[in-house]
Amino acid sequence: MRWLAVLAVFVLVLGACTGDDDDAADTPDAPDNNGEDNGDGPSETIDLVQDGESVLASVQDSGVVVCGVNDAVPGFGFVDEDGNFSGFDVDYCRAIAAAVLGDAEAVEYVPLTAAQRFTALQSGEIDVLVRNTTWTASRDGGEGAAFATTTFYDGQGMMVRADGDIGSIDDMGGASVCVLSGTTTELNLATVFNARGLDYSPLSFEDNDTLREAFIAGQCDGWTSDKSQLAAVRSAYPEADGGPESLTILDETISKEPLGPAVRDGDSAWFDAVNWAVIATIQAEEFGITSENIDDFTTSDDPNILRFLGEPDPEEGTVADPGLGLDPDFAVNVISQVGNYGEIFERHVGPDTPLGLARAENDLWTNGGLLYPPPYR
Amino acid sequence: MTAVATHPSGAPRGRAAGPPDTSVGPVGWMRENLFNSALNAVLTALFGAFIAWAAVRLALLVFVNSDWEIVQRNLTSFMLGRFDRAELWRPWAATGILAVTFGLVGGAGSVTAEQIAQQEGRQLPRITWRDRLRRFWPMALLVVVLLGFTRTIAPTLLALLVLAVGVVARSVGTRLPSVLNRFIWVVALLGFVAAVVVLSRFGGVGWDEWGGLHLSIFATGSGIVLAFPLGLLLAMGRRSSLPAVRIVSVGYIEFFRGVPLITLLLMGQFMIGFFLPGWIDAPSQLARALVAIVIFESAYIAEIVRGGLQGVDRGQIEAGQALGMSPLAVVRRIQLPQALRAVIPAMVGQFISLFQDTTLFFILGFDELLNVGQRVTNQPDFVGQGLQSVTLPFVAFVFWAISYSMSRESRRLETRLGVGTR
Amino acid sequence: MTAVVDAPDPPGQPPRSSRPPLWRDVRVIRVVLQVAFAVAVVALISYLYSNLVNNLTDQGIRTDFGYLDRPAGFQILGSDFRAAQSVSDALLVGLSNTVSVAVIGIVLTMILGIIVGVASLSSNWLVRKAATVYVETLRNLPPLIVIVFMFTAVILRLPRIEAPAEWFDLAIWTNRTISIAAPSLDAGSGGFLLALVTALVLAAVVWIVRTRHNARTGQPHHRVALSGLAFLAVVVLAWSLTGRPLGIDRPEVVGRQLEGGWSMSANYAAVLFALVIYTASYIAEIVRGSIQAVHKGQTEASLALALSGFQRLRFVILPQAFRIAVPAIANQFLNLTKNSSLAIAVGFAELTQVTFIVIGNGNPAPQSILLLMFAYLFLSLVIALFTNIVNRRFQLVSR
Repeated sequence: MRWLAVLAVFVLVLGACTGDDDDAADTPDAPDNNGEDNGDGPSETIDLVQDGESVLASVQDSGVVVCGVNDAVPGFGFVDEDGNFSGFDVDYCRAIAAAVLGDAEAVEYVPLTAAQRFTALQSGEIDVLVRNTTWTASRDGGEGAAFATTTFYDGQGMMVRADGDIGSIDDMGGASVCVLSGTTTELNLATVFNARGLDYSPLSFEDNDTLREAFIAGQCDGWTSDKSQLAAVRSAYPEADGGPESLTILDETISKEPLGPAVRDGDSAWFDAVNWAVIATIQAEEFGITSENIDDFTTSDDPNILRFLGEPDPEEGTVADPGLGLDPDFAVNVISQVGNYGEIFERHVGPDTPLGLARAENDLWTNGGLLYPPPYR
Repeated sequence: MTAVATHPSGAPRGRAAGPPDTSVGPVGWMRENLFNSALNAVLTALFGAFIAWAAVRLALLVFVNSDWEIVQRNLTSFMLGRFDRAELWRPWAATGILAVTFGLVGGAGSVTAEQIAQQEGRQLPRITWRDRLRRFWPMALLVVVLLGFTRTIAPTLLALLVLAVGVVARSVGTRLPSVLNRFIWVVALLGFVAAVVVLSRFGGVGWDEWGGLHLSIFATGSGIVLAFPLGLLLAMGRRSSLPAVRIVSVGYIEFFRGVPLITLLLMGQFMIGFFLPGWIDAPSQLARALVAIVIFESAYIAEIVRGGLQGVDRGQIEAGQALGMSPLAVVRRIQLPQALRAVIPAMVGQFISLFQDTTLFFILGFDELLNVGQRVTNQPDFVGQGLQSVTLPFVAFVFWAISYSMSRESRRLETRLGVGTR
Repeated sequence: MTAVVDAPDPPGQPPRSSRPPLWRDVRVIRVVLQVAFAVAVVALISYLYSNLVNNLTDQGIRTDFGYLDRPAGFQILGSDFRAAQSVSDALLVGLSNTVSVAVIGIVLTMILGIIVGVASLSSNWLVRKAATVYVETLRNLPPLIVIVFMFTAVILRLPRIEAPAEWFDLAIWTNRTISIAAPSLDAGSGGFLLALVTALVLAAVVWIVRTRHNARTGQPHHRVALSGLAFLAVVVLAWSLTGRPLGIDRPEVVGRQLEGGWSMSANYAAVLFALVIYTASYIAEIVRGSIQAVHKGQTEASLALALSGFQRLRFVILPQAFRIAVPAIANQFLNLTKNSSLAIAVGFAELTQVTFIVIGNGNPAPQSILLLMFAYLFLSLVIALFTNIVNRRFQLVSR
């Protein structure tokens, strides 16, 4: 048995020593790998913890955006029969890839649970989180995340059966409420009911699928979640169980839920790139540019549109570069490959989809909505 | 998480427990086995009614009440998850390689088992087609069901090809020269590695994109293969005469056997990145899950191997020492060969239990079989129709068929290797 | 091997076996090896720990346990826990839920497992086959699937709260809550409680006396009947004397919930039943194997003594089989306890799910997972300790 002990000792000592050595060597002369020597293997690995390098550079190095998504939210993020991710949030991953790399398909999707998402972001496992995540102060602060422009203005709502005696949350004393665990939704639920002095039984589920089964079976009186998700469930409610008319989404909005992409704190270059990829889709809709008609706009008379599309200014002859670290024509890539905001919305969650959501808050400011892109100049 | 699927008694079941068939004809048989006392008559009536009811419900569920379209359309997802559909030849090639490997190892193993039985003067039972059918009918049923869900003829042809290749490899395996036979475990390892290489290298699909049944099988295989050396070391450490080594080994084994796998998987997801120095990239989700599985499984394998080592007669070790063998030679030439042979059935049991535990990946959000079963119900064509009642039984059937066949196999290995009969 | 004489070798001659050089002395090698091994292990652990602390501080994640005192912010089904209470209270609620599943699950599993195990040895072919099918089906399914299936396919199909199923006012079941009637005591019934204790003591005394009597004279002891009778007599007497304070607390539907009686949430029931039927399949196999392992001569001897089938099982076979089965059964108890962590999939707030929620709400993961692991380790140790005691009590004293 002794040889074994010798072997074990050897292995362990070796492991510990190499570790210590490298640790010592690590701090003083950290290699300044700034993407110049991208010839062979090692430089391709993304150094995640190092402060100096922006994710923007590493993404451009590796040629792929690693995007944390949800694989179980109808309309926003799900996987189709061929194993491809699809949905509203997923299209924003593609928009970011189109803006940064010029190729909307250069995305690696990492499906994440609610509990895992911020750890994955902090540890650098994903470059950007586009997973129906609510922008809150503590997430901006404590979780070390930075939220880009909101892609979807949502609100937490409550869905109940239409034939019951519940007309508002005040009628829900003693009710059972289904909620997804580990989310802001769960915390808001407690806050709202406690503030009104109402008692309730929370049924916290880890995943939406089991939750939906429980709700359909009548285990809970109410289901609280983002209103968009509730609408999706309601519109697809099986006819055998009464169809959409048998459910009501209460008028009350329990909380504001602005959903948008999040990146790691303290990386402004990457943050700007993600932010403007999102803004480009909104700006395009404001200009009326779609993936269909974008070719007509490259010869537009409007200098604002030309600047936005990275075309040379007709008078000065120069291409404006706002210094975002993106190609001047990044917006063209985003719009032609993914579409403008309206197209993305209509494709996945609009009236013609099973979700059947109206634009409402998610309309342009010119139509009374909240989408107000900052000027591109 | 689940226990080793060995049986406390190696006794053959069913037939031995029942009375001998003395009576003639079906009526005589029924009188003997179903109505031999008033109590039994009542029990027969009760159970008969219950079984009939359950059978009708099951038949209704399978043939009438369920619309299997969701499984049919997502069959590739169930098998492979999000695997790139343009690279489907890779899984088929890997399956072929594994069929060759299993064939070779199985053929060589049966030769070895016969030799051992001869040395020990045991008579091995002849394997009839009926025995094979009893062992593998769930697996065969699974394959038939899967092929029944496919929409083209190609998968059926490919499956037949893989089967043929496996059969040929098995007959080659029985004719291997004895030198090769001894190193058959190298072939097994190489086959597994080759399958992984075909899947993931040379323009293949990285393991983060793997899913479905494929992911479960891969995670189980690599989990056991990677945990085995560590488990072996721990088992020997636990039997070491050096107190420090023993204490560390016992501490490791008992700690990780005392916690559920899910806590280790959580640790893997949330903490492994933090344990690494800054200059190492955070490993991918699956890599971290595999690390957790290896940590967990090695503790269980250590206990299995320890059981095998304890089963080696002390006289054998003393005989080796008396012959002047070095301690290393005693371990390598006397203890390990006997111990490892004795642990094969238990290792198959551990394989089954790990295979079942891969469903925990669902809780981590990986795209394994159970997760596929849940997530496909979100597709626009199927959303909100309560189709979990279709996908879950399908997933359960896949797990059941594979586990059942393998546990039958482990039981057969027990008798063939003479474990527990000496 | 060890040298007895410690004399220096004469010069000029090669050292003989009296004392090997230091680097070949087994005792020295042993000590050196162990020290080296211990140092290596400690070095590895401290290296990993220092990495952990460095990385956590780099990313601004707290490494202390202060978050345990912060308000939890969420509520837990089926408990009085409120959102304003602390995280540590939430974890304790989770722990008690885990323990509750484990304890009740172990009891039910034993009952079901022994029944199925004995049934798989029945002389009735149909019963035997049914038991075998049960065992082979459940054992080859992943426990997580059993739990999810039990929840979605069985528990959720129970009647809705609007139309609950009842059984003589004594039990109500819905897909929210399952309740059975429970004995209840009126206020100020201390006298009755005292009588209850007295009755228990009396029953115990009768039991011991009868057992001794049986051991001394060999006459039948009838201790179950006699001590039960004594207990009942005292209780009934006291009950009528103290003004009949004992009532029945019947469950009833109040608003949207069931109230009264002993009740369990449907999610708890799903986890409990799933783990019971799953683990019972393993217990059944252990019981069957242990019974088969009892020597045939024992059965024949008891047949020769004209014991009835029940007596044969109860007094000859099962006690011996139990002795063989204890370690394996203890292992299954551990498995059941650990598998209760899978309840996370169906929304039952045991320890793992509460930890999940706590982490999801932005509390530090490393400390939470560490606490989680040590809690399960503690439960495992308690079960191991308990079964060791049982084992010692039941093992044959070898003479």
